[in-house]
Amino acid sequence: MIAERTAPKTVEELAKTLAQCNDAGLAVTIEGGRTLHGMGSQPRRSDLVISTTRLNELLTHEYHDLTCSVRAGMTLAQLGERLAQQGQFVPIDAPLRRKATIGGTMAAGWLGPRRHFYGRSRDFAIGSQVVLADGTIANAGGMVVKNVSGYDMSKLYIGSFGTLGVITQLNFKTLPVPQHRRVLIARLPERSRDRVVTQIAALAVVPAAACCVEGFRKNIEGEDGIDGRLFLLLEGSQALLDRATRDIRSALGRAGVPETIILDSGAPESLERLLDAQIATLGERSMTYRSLGMPETVESRARELRDAANRRELFTDVLFDIMNGDVFVRVSERDSRAFAEKIENCDDELRAIDPRSVIVAGDAPIRASLNAWGAPPESIAKMRGVKERFDPKGTLNPGRFVDGI
Amino acid sequence: MVVQRLIDALGADAVKTQREDLSVYAFDAYSEGQLPTAVVQPSSTRDVAAAVKIAKDCGEPIVARGSGTGLCGGAVPAQGGIVFSFARMNRVLEVDVRNRRARVQPGLINLDLSRAVAGAGLFYAPDPSSQKISTIGGNIGTNAGGPHCLSYGTTVNHVLGLEVVDENGEVFHTSLEENGYDLTGPLVGSEGTLGITCSAWVRLMKTPEAVRVWLAGFSDVDSASAAVSAIIGAGIVPTALEMLDRLALQAVEAAFHSGYPTDAGAVLLIEGAGFEDDLNAYESEIAVLVRECGALSWRSARSEQEREALWAGRKGALGATGRIAPNYYIQDVVVPRTKLPNALRAVEAACDARDIKVANVFHAGDGNLHPLLMYDRSDKKQVGAVIDAGNEILQVAVDLGGTISGEHGIGYEKRGTLTRIFTTEDLATMARVRDVFDPKRRLNPEKIFPAGVGCAEVR
Repeated sequence: MIAERTAPKTVEELAKTLAQCNDAGLAVTIEGGRTLHGMGSQPRRSDLVISTTRLNELLTHEYHDLTCSVRAGMTLAQLGERLAQQGQFVPIDAPLRRKATIGGTMAAGWLGPRRHFYGRSRDFAIGSQVVLADGTIANAGGMVVKNVSGYDMSKLYIGSFGTLGVITQLNFKTLPVPQHRRVLIARLPERSRDRVVTQIAALAVVPAAACCVEGFRKNIEGEDGIDGRLFLLLEGSQALLDRATRDIRSALGRAGVPETIILDSGAPESLERLLDAQIATLGERSMTYRSLGMPETVESRARELRDAANRRELFTDVLFDIMNGDVFVRVSERDSRAFAEKIENCDDELRAIDPRSVIVAGDAPIRASLNAWGAPPESIAKMRGVKERFDPKGTLNPGRFVDGI
Repeated sequence: MVVQRLIDALGADAVKTQREDLSVYAFDAYSEGQLPTAVVQPSSTRDVAAAVKIAKDCGEPIVARGSGTGLCGGAVPAQGGIVFSFARMNRVLEVDVRNRRARVQPGLINLDLSRAVAGAGLFYAPDPSSQKISTIGGNIGTNAGGPHCLSYGTTVNHVLGLEVVDENGEVFHTSLEENGYDLTGPLVGSEGTLGITCSAWVRLMKTPEAVRVWLAGFSDVDSASAAVSAIIGAGIVPTALEMLDRLALQAVEAAFHSGYPTDAGAVLLIEGAGFEDDLNAYESEIAVLVRECGALSWRSARSEQEREALWAGRKGALGATGRIAPNYYIQDVVVPRTKLPNALRAVEAACDARDIKVANVFHAGDGNLHPLLMYDRSDKKQVGAVIDAGNEILQVAVDLGGTISGEHGIGYEKRGTLTRIFTTEDLATMARVRDVFDPKRRLNPEKIFPAGVGCAEVR
């Protein structure tokens, strides 16, 4: 008999279980560290949960080649530690890295604040192995950094929320760990925000991450009263950090921001807290939306989303990414009942500003009644075609993805 | 019938049917296919859609084509049909400096894009050696690389979204900023088998403040490839790390007088980009590593002129080999970077055994080999020997844990060898994507997939 929840120890075992479910017409939920379970919609049906957490080895780290191959269930933190032993890393930024698995994070296609600097995590994936709904084990790509042998299937699986297949292995190119890291924090009054964003975006020395934060006081450092603050991460040589710090200070000065705090130790932890905040909930009385868009509009979009929620008398915490254009808005109330009363109208207002914003976190019971993925993407018909061809019986995470896929 | 309908839809000047016109489109830089029924030169996405509908109605295969610089037959019409040339869709439609992106038409010449945005302090990173003539659309089709892919990544890392005409003549859009499946990923590198790109949003990068180019000379390729391993192994990723062997060097110098040492057995062309302070430290670090690997000479190209001369030599290397033999056959394989010495020795052995001269000029930092096998096309025996050797080189790459194409694609020439790296299940899984976008296999038929991998077999 099939158990309600299983964590296969081998890929073959996983493939066998999946094929059985597929034959039996059961719906399967795929799970890694469950850190992003609050993103998007919940599966319509779930007869069995398959967890990848026991498929968690680092298969190879060819550090002279700057490549590695890892099973899906390894956590981001574990992978980071293992690669760091040889002075390398893969730039994958995601919340809760001690719990988050590589497979889950990549299946969710999570986008981090350092991607303008290092590239998207999908661009570091040079090969993959997946198990399809019918139990087929399929490989794509390889262990070399350049490859046009066949379709780039890995990119199709990344960000597919387990609806096309279960990612069981990913091969990555690695990078040398930056020599130095530094965090700069500055108070950021709303009136100077626009100018600051423009100045930061135009810097010659590009910061590894640049975010504006308003609220999230328990999550991200920098006491700001109600002013908001700027979070900058620099990565590279000492010479580069010194030059960047000088440039940033004078740019901020020009924009009317007098003081900058430098944190030379604990920079990785600071980044980690910022990432964790992206999906931090306040129990059943909050909901976090993510809006992607152009860097040019990021400041105004963040302001509009915040003001819309405030008009509906909800509290807001805001985090926006100057370099990539992402906005995270967490809307909340003092208690879950008041929240439940207001969120539906607020949701409408937020979607009027960005119809494709996605709910990335929120435990509120009312969540199911909201359309967590927003308006369907333009090429939804093609996407449905892909789903139909890869998982015709709808076995894998049914309803978990956009527009009910 | 089909021709008249195409003329009615696109105008007579956009449809070519004369034999002498058509024959040009039966080739790419390496292979020959069937004469197409007609060649269309659409001026807009609407034209493309209209022509696709007509071709479909008339049961004609569809082959989209850039400048035809491909080396694997990707753009040749294997079954004739309608060839789509994008010579008239060659504009930069929009440059968005603030968000560092541009929207371009597929027929735009690669280098023209970087030229168009240089004034804004930006550039388009993928730079295949053919960049003076190859198009962005063709580059997207093969996920083209180039020397600077070492640090910037290949074309797929620089495409943000696509406007595509599908096999029914309907337009659809993909974008990395949208929710849903990443269709952009598999479309890039699909060699026109999933749809026809009609415009693309591409990423632009900021021109670095300082660029330096260094040249290290070695007595042989063995020590040069050891230096490549040493540099990469030390965790240094230059913006480019290229190797030229003796024969390539001599040909390049004779043609371009770029300033390469002709007495060296191999040179590494190394580029670093960033900031002056950083580059100083970088330069001394690399200089030490290459000396430890036995470098006989070390030069830093001081002026922009000097740098450009070196790059011009590198990028013109293929043409320069015309001095050695009337024809060359270029192979494109990738091995893990530490396997370069083994791979180069095996390439040499494969060529020596058949009495073939081989020049190597390639993306060493990526482990992407490009052996140029010299031959005379009029000599049948030489042709056979070169094909044999090429085949052996493919196997060498596979045996060393590498792959059979790094940036040129699979096309027609390599489709029979895809089974060396993928199982039937792997290929059938890729074919599922094809089933969705091109169930009847009318888009660039007989490409990428080995004969026999089709929906019938999967089902």
